[in-house]
Amino acid sequence: MLPSDLRDRLAEALKGSRADYAEVRVEHTRSTRVAFRGARLEGAGESVDGGGCVRVLSRGHGWGVASFTALDGIPAMLAAAEEMSRAIHLERPVRLAEMPRREDVSVPAVDGDPREVPLGEKRRLLEHLNGLMLAVSPKIADTGASYFDNWTEWAFANSEGSWLYEVRPEIGLSAQATARDGDTIERSLESLGLRHGWRSVQDREGMFRAAAERALALLAAPTVEGGTLPVVLDPRLAGVFVHEAFGHLSEADFVYENPEARAMMTLGRRFGSELVNIGDDGSAAGLRGTLPYDDEGTPTQRTPLVDHGVLVGRLHSRETAAAMGEAPTGNARAIDFRHPPIVRMTNTYIEGGSGTLDDLVRDIPLGVYAVDAVGGQTYLENFSFTAAHGYMIRGGKLAELVKDVTLAGNLFQSLAAIDALAGDFQWNQMGGGCGKGGQFPLPVTEGAPHVRFRELLVGGEVAA
Amino acid sequence: MRIALDHVFDRIGRRAEGADALIRSESQLTLRFETGRLKESALRQETGLNLRLVTGGRVGFAGTTDLSGIRALDDVVARALASASEGEACALAWPAATRRDPVRTFDDTVAGLDVATLAALGRRMVDQLARDGWQVSASVDRYVEETTFANTAGQIFAYRSTAVAVSADVTRVKGDDVLMAYDDVTAMTVPAGVELDAAVARIVTRMKRGERVVEPPEGKLPVLFTPSGSECLFLPLRQALSGKTVLQGISPLGDKVGEPAFDATLDLVDDPLHPGRTASRPADDEGVPSRRLPLIEQGVVRRFIYDLETAARAGTASTGHGRRGTFGKPVIAFSNLALRLGDADEAALLGAVGQGLVVEDLIGVGQGNVISGAFSHPVALAYRVDGGEITGRVKDAAVAGNAFELLKRIRMVGREGKWIGGSRLVPPIVLDAVSVARR
Repeated sequence: MLPSDLRDRLAEALKGSRADYAEVRVEHTRSTRVAFRGARLEGAGESVDGGGCVRVLSRGHGWGVASFTALDGIPAMLAAAEEMSRAIHLERPVRLAEMPRREDVSVPAVDGDPREVPLGEKRRLLEHLNGLMLAVSPKIADTGASYFDNWTEWAFANSEGSWLYEVRPEIGLSAQATARDGDTIERSLESLGLRHGWRSVQDREGMFRAAAERALALLAAPTVEGGTLPVVLDPRLAGVFVHEAFGHLSEADFVYENPEARAMMTLGRRFGSELVNIGDDGSAAGLRGTLPYDDEGTPTQRTPLVDHGVLVGRLHSRETAAAMGEAPTGNARAIDFRHPPIVRMTNTYIEGGSGTLDDLVRDIPLGVYAVDAVGGQTYLENFSFTAAHGYMIRGGKLAELVKDVTLAGNLFQSLAAIDALAGDFQWNQMGGGCGKGGQFPLPVTEGAPHVRFRELLVGGEVAA
Repeated sequence: MRIALDHVFDRIGRRAEGADALIRSESQLTLRFETGRLKESALRQETGLNLRLVTGGRVGFAGTTDLSGIRALDDVVARALASASEGEACALAWPAATRRDPVRTFDDTVAGLDVATLAALGRRMVDQLARDGWQVSASVDRYVEETTFANTAGQIFAYRSTAVAVSADVTRVKGDDVLMAYDDVTAMTVPAGVELDAAVARIVTRMKRGERVVEPPEGKLPVLFTPSGSECLFLPLRQALSGKTVLQGISPLGDKVGEPAFDATLDLVDDPLHPGRTASRPADDEGVPSRRLPLIEQGVVRRFIYDLETAARAGTASTGHGRRGTFGKPVIAFSNLALRLGDADEAALLGAVGQGLVVEDLIGVGQGNVISGAFSHPVALAYRVDGGEITGRVKDAAVAGNAFELLKRIRMVGREGKWIGGSRLVPPIVLDAVSVARR
């Protein structure tokens, strides 16, 4: 638990700071982790993680940041951060966008407080779910099953007089099945991450069975036919696409001090076909990337990024917003007290259109239906993502299951290549998270319908 | 920190048959240069305790960053006991008090570095990279750590370690084309000026070679993987050499000990006693003394690496590869991992490629079915080679293959190795018949 007199202690410490701007974030997290590997328990236990981060800015100088695990040293850490800030001289000073003073306390209701559930019960739930994977086939050579819950108390105070206190709960499950037949090894993953309670992880048997059954099916699946082909993404992979391929470029810290990047991301530029609408919404109800305030104390909001194919917005911290003369969007986030906030996504989405998957596939003679994501990475305007599996599309119908489906492309070309979106939008409540600047995993959510591209580069072995 | 450990062991008393604990205090100072100017300076100070105990034959563990007093320490012990009551049985072989080979892990100069000195290291990189149209970022990190270990078998020790990492990257945007190059120097001591200058030269070379964009080649081609571009080959190898992967029955090398699984030029050694590297330490985080361990010799798989628990379950001894964080239980991790360097210079390597590709960096390594060895990645930075010479940068191309198959035929190994992250020595390497696709 955070100390009851924390607010007064932070106010006192901030009063002693000579910096032009100072803030303190303090967190305390109690977590449970249970993990099985194969038939064996890897471990079950609770941990305590806590500490703080101070960040100060003096006019004409740079940021000084100090993070720490010993809470009795806050005034000393503020002093150290001030000294570091003053050691940096800037010709163009860092400015922060205006933010009204705020006081707020936010404790969300969860469906069953995980702190009240005994460790043994959490172990039994996971043992049952892991057993379902092992029972699918003797060819399931290995499994990984995990359960986690975090109960984070978060407090924020700054020299402008703001005081915020939140409880940030998280809970989740993950399933990994490895099937082996001789030298052929295939793996399949499923995960779930929610800002909710114990009841939300009940009745999740389907997710564990699906992981094992898919790994088994992939043993016999051929490698996808590589090449430049029409591709349909399922909503999960389409969500990863919008996050990786577009979302990261819309983070203003990529462009705000880089004139060329700024030109590339000029508001008003056409980015994709008329059909494409993209945004980010940290205030959407009940999602993993949802929070009332970001880690600078800015309220989260819905931010349209692409409207009918035209770039209309970007994601900001107070610093990037001031530098670009735009408004903060509540996207300054830190994974924990060890790090200062940087510009990050929350819940990123591409809006749905109309029709069904069948409608998207019907007029493709040869193509790939790529399903679910096991990973994705952007390299500026180029991106790569790996589907969990896929199906060839032949003669307008889904055909055989295929593996090793890796998709690559250029942001501008691929957004322009989107020629249909189905009407089946969904939010993907997966576990894991986003990585940037050494901060991983940040809880985010992605939302999308089935999306069709006229063509994308599908990786695979090529003929000699 | 010894006082905290003593309290924890006192508190456990007779409630456990055995226990070990590690406290690590870390201090990291980071300077971040953005678009050519020092922008942020950050200090991170963190202390964590990781405790493991065995009671009734069952293993439990707990961790905390709260070392503020007796109540917090008692809470860790209570949580470890609760974890053991749900835990799995395992007969851990706690290492007894033994002699540890001396290895230098600490440098006084590094520990005493101030912001101004660190800033000068970063500025040296930034200033040399300044060009019209180049966005230069850099970061300088200084680490000082203190590790204290004790177990109930009498193994007790403490050591300090240091590291400095200096890195820089250049981004050049022209229209919709983005060219990016990165390099770093990471070691236990402060890097010498010549080392920083060499990193700058490598970045400049990449930017120059990337200037002209050419059509990618296509087909099954010889490819030169530079140290920064070869992770797709060596990540599956590292996973397959972990005793954990072997124990789970999913290592492609699990049944290949004593067999020539790779080209005879492939030698791989794990060496925690290597002087001056960032993963050097007198013993691992479970108290097992460090020793140099050949893993692959002339292409023949010699052994896998183990921590205490995996070794107990596999019926073997720990090789001294347990690594602990504050939370959870120890995991298997390599220390300094070195591949044997060859003797070819860059011209010879490019000559060996003839018509093909140089891969400096790939996108998305680590995604997908890594342990199978299969990879397929678009290039982040790669050059086309014609007639043994680099003719330009290729975009919109992907390389694919299987690491375990490709490493059976190594065409040539270079002499210019690089310590990736300060603890993995990787040479440039030319492989045959890598699948190259374009769009």
